[in-house]
Amino acid sequence: MVLENALPPFDVWIGPALLFFGVAVAMLAVLALLAGYLVAAFRYGPLGGGDVVFRTLRTAVFDLFSMSPRRIAALAWLAIQESLRRRVLVGFGVFVLILLFAGWFLDPQSTDPASLYLSFVLTATNFLVLLMALFLSAFSLPADIKNHTIYTIVTKPVRPGEIVLGRIVGFATIGTFLLAIMGVISYFFVVRVVDHTHEVEIASLEPIANDASGAVTGRTTLDANHRHQVTIDADGVGSTDTVQGHWHEVDAVKDGDETTYVIGPPRDLYTARVPAYPTSLRFKDRTGRGSDRGISVGYEWSYRSFIEGATLASATWTFHNITPERFPDGLPIELTVRVFRSHKGDIEQGILGSLVLKNPTTGRTSGITTFRAKDNQIDERFIKRKLTDPEGNPIDLFDDLVSDGQLEIELQCLDESQYFGVALPDIYIRARDASFSINFLKSYVGIWAQMLLVTSFGVMFSTFLSGAVAMMATAAALVLGFFSQFIHEVAVGIVEGGGPTEALMRTLTQRNQTTELEPSLTKSVIQAVDSVFMFFMEWVTSLLPDFRRFSDVDYLAYGFDIPPNVLGIQVVSAIGYVIALSAIGYFFLRTREVAR
Amino acid sequence: MSSESSDVVVETRNLSKVYRDFWGRQKVRALKALDLEIRRGEIFGLLGPNGSGKTTTIKLLLGLLFPTSGQALVFGKDATDVSKNERLGYLPEESYLYRFLNAEETLDFYGRLFDMPARVRKERTAELIKLVGLDWAKRRQLKEYSKGMARRIGLAQALVNDPELILLDEPTSGLDPIGTREMKDLILRLKEQGKTVVMCSHLLADVQDVCDRIAILHQGELKELGRVDSLLKLRDETEIRVRGLSEAAQAELRAFFDRSDASVLAMDNPTTTLEDLFLSIVRESEARPGRRVVKQEQQS
Ligand SMILES: Nc1ncnc2c1ncn2[C@@H]1O[C@H](COP(=O)(O)OP(=O)(O)OP(=O)(O)O)[C@@H](O)[C@H]1O
Ligand SMILES: [Mg+2]
Repeated sequence: MVLENALPPFDVWIGPALLFFGVAVAMLAVLALLAGYLVAAFRYGPLGGGDVVFRTLRTAVFDLFSMSPRRIAALAWLAIQESLRRRVLVGFGVFVLILLFAGWFLDPQSTDPASLYLSFVLTATNFLVLLMALFLSAFSLPADIKNHTIYTIVTKPVRPGEIVLGRIVGFATIGTFLLAIMGVISYFFVVRVVDHTHEVEIASLEPIANDASGAVTGRTTLDANHRHQVTIDADGVGSTDTVQGHWHEVDAVKDGDETTYVIGPPRDLYTARVPAYPTSLRFKDRTGRGSDRGISVGYEWSYRSFIEGATLASATWTFHNITPERFPDGLPIELTVRVFRSHKGDIEQGILGSLVLKNPTTGRTSGITTFRAKDNQIDERFIKRKLTDPEGNPIDLFDDLVSDGQLEIELQCLDESQYFGVALPDIYIRARDASFSINFLKSYVGIWAQMLLVTSFGVMFSTFLSGAVAMMATAAALVLGFFSQFIHEVAVGIVEGGGPTEALMRTLTQRNQTTELEPSLTKSVIQAVDSVFMFFMEWVTSLLPDFRRFSDVDYLAYGFDIPPNVLGIQVVSAIGYVIALSAIGYFFLRTREVAR
Repeated sequence: MSSESSDVVVETRNLSKVYRDFWGRQKVRALKALDLEIRRGEIFGLLGPNGSGKTTTIKLLLGLLFPTSGQALVFGKDATDVSKNERLGYLPEESYLYRFLNAEETLDFYGRLFDMPARVRKERTAELIKLVGLDWAKRRQLKEYSKGMARRIGLAQALVNDPELILLDEPTSGLDPIGTREMKDLILRLKEQGKTVVMCSHLLADVQDVCDRIAILHQGELKELGRVDSLLKLRDETEIRVRGLSEAAQAELRAFFDRSDASVLAMDNPTTTLEDLFLSIVRESEARPGRRVVKQEQQS
């Protein structure tokens, strides 16, 4: 899997995250206080303004403690009634329609249909639910204000915070309900849609060359756009090879002279691998000198480092906690590399690479294993306990190559002028497999958190903007959130071509992104404007949620168990946003004349 | 004075409201320096032509609008204070209720906003639906309600919390004659229970029937304030109603009024109708715009 952004463990994350939350809230509070005071001072004079600000704050504290769960529940109930009235259930219809016509968009020849269907279904769900959250949350409060129904609410002992929170809770409930139903439909859809079986083509069966055991090999019929190679041993037990991410069990049933072959359902279609990742990654450059990083080949600047083929360059991962108790039979490892070709070579063949196991203390190594790497494909291999050293002497994995539970794996590229790109999590030991169904359920947590975020932003913006504007503002927050990394990169100058003004000037003067601008006053001014703008943009985006971090679709689609820390981070940060946005919404609603 | 002031339920001091547009430009001066004191147990009427600032006043008292200058106090607290709403009921100018709820759901919902437990809400809902005579339509969505029915459920909504102070913005608009009568009876009953009612209305006859004191607004200015009975009394006229007066006695009457056989049924200053008073004040105000000094209230 291309895991671009590994999230830190929860306990490592939570401290700095809380700190960031605190600092951000404090900064916003100071800014808001300042702005509030300026507005109030303008209206009531410097002293009166201070008094107004003080009283607003005092009321806010009082309001916080007089919030009533029953009132919030009542307002949430109202929001649900309103959503049903606005026919959110139409969303289901759209969803079912999308599923019915899914076949039109999806490539039946795909090498990994399970992953394709999972991504498709989850992306569709995600999109629909966010759209629904966007519409419901942004238009609700403005409609109440416009219809004046808000008059009968705010003249009851209802705190503005309860109005905001009640709406968030109500719409989140509707969203949860929608997600649950879509989830059930999707689950049966993906499980059903790729379910299939084959038959053995009897005519194709022939004994295996150079094999005296009596095993036969052949192929299956073409079903669901693919066929498998089957191998059946003399006892009539066999299996197919792995095609499109799955394989089948094959049983030969002898009945007198007749032999019928029974092929089972697809296996390993849906997996949830639990990887044990290495703890560190070091590189050697082409001359064999050690370094922290490999070389960059121009894209993915930060994440993957590249090693050059047919040189001394190598990448070495270190694993910890490798014990015979955990892995009694050996190590099931899976490796993904990015392949960067400086010349085309034989595309079908893949690039030759080698792996060597190494004892970090004694320096003892295993013999070389070679493999052919294709870009971005998982290479599964099993390291047995009984190995040989480079001289061909037998050695034991745990006795000779592991010391203190530590083991090193060294990767080299063997084809000249070709490159392998790797990052720390690109190799792992497949420690065990978790339940796919539970993983499927877990993948909805990310969507749920996103739905909560969009709802909170929508409600917050709708406390002071009209419906359509609130919706656009929320959509803008969503988009900025998705591109927060890009904006950050523009701001710190990783992206070529400068900030927006510079980019505009380059566009107008038809210069490409990498041309050096000649030093001039214009250039300085433009770059100064850009840096102020980008500072502001970065500041804003750093406050917005990075929505890509809330997507668990890749884990599920590529067959990885979603780590609990990811879910924890998603849920906790979403709740953090709910709290902060409710507070902002409270102040906007509090200081607003609803009868205007 | 202090014991008296605790009896003041609503107080406005120099209350003014200027409506501004989005850019902060002044659009309308809807209320100009209003001073009012409304005491516990009173029925207070706000009168004035369309656009004179009655609804604006009520909204300011509710904290739905913020005063441009001056102050509005309800139960001695600033009108923007949410906690005052515990003891207050409000019937808006039009029934701004959720059209997709039915009568029972509506009242239950507002009951929950007062943090009332389920059992209390249930009793209260049934009681209020009966009170406003909507038993026959309590399961119908409000969007199917006629204007008068919506008015009734609006009133029920205002009484959910058994409030001490009730603000009614044109309570009788849209009601049939029976409904109007019932509304007036209800207001009087609320007064009997010691509640304070502030209402505004165009239907002067209604106001005359129920209000203890009235204020007349015109173009945002207070034009008249006082007890209804004393405002309507014409002090320089006397009215006598007599029965059984012969032609001759009539001739004698002016001189020998006391000594005649006729029994005096009534002898009083005649009252004008509120309508006449209202029209004369508005006409006078139009003829001579500006702030009119309001006479201190005379006790009758
Ligand atoms: N939201 C608003 N924005 C601008 N002006 C307003 C607004 N609401 C009311 N006004 C103006 O304020 C003035 C007073 O209006 P208000 O609604 O208080 O009158 P009213 O006495 O209740 O009239 P009616 O008898 O028609 O209900 C009017 O001139 C009106 O145009
Ligand atoms: Mg009005």
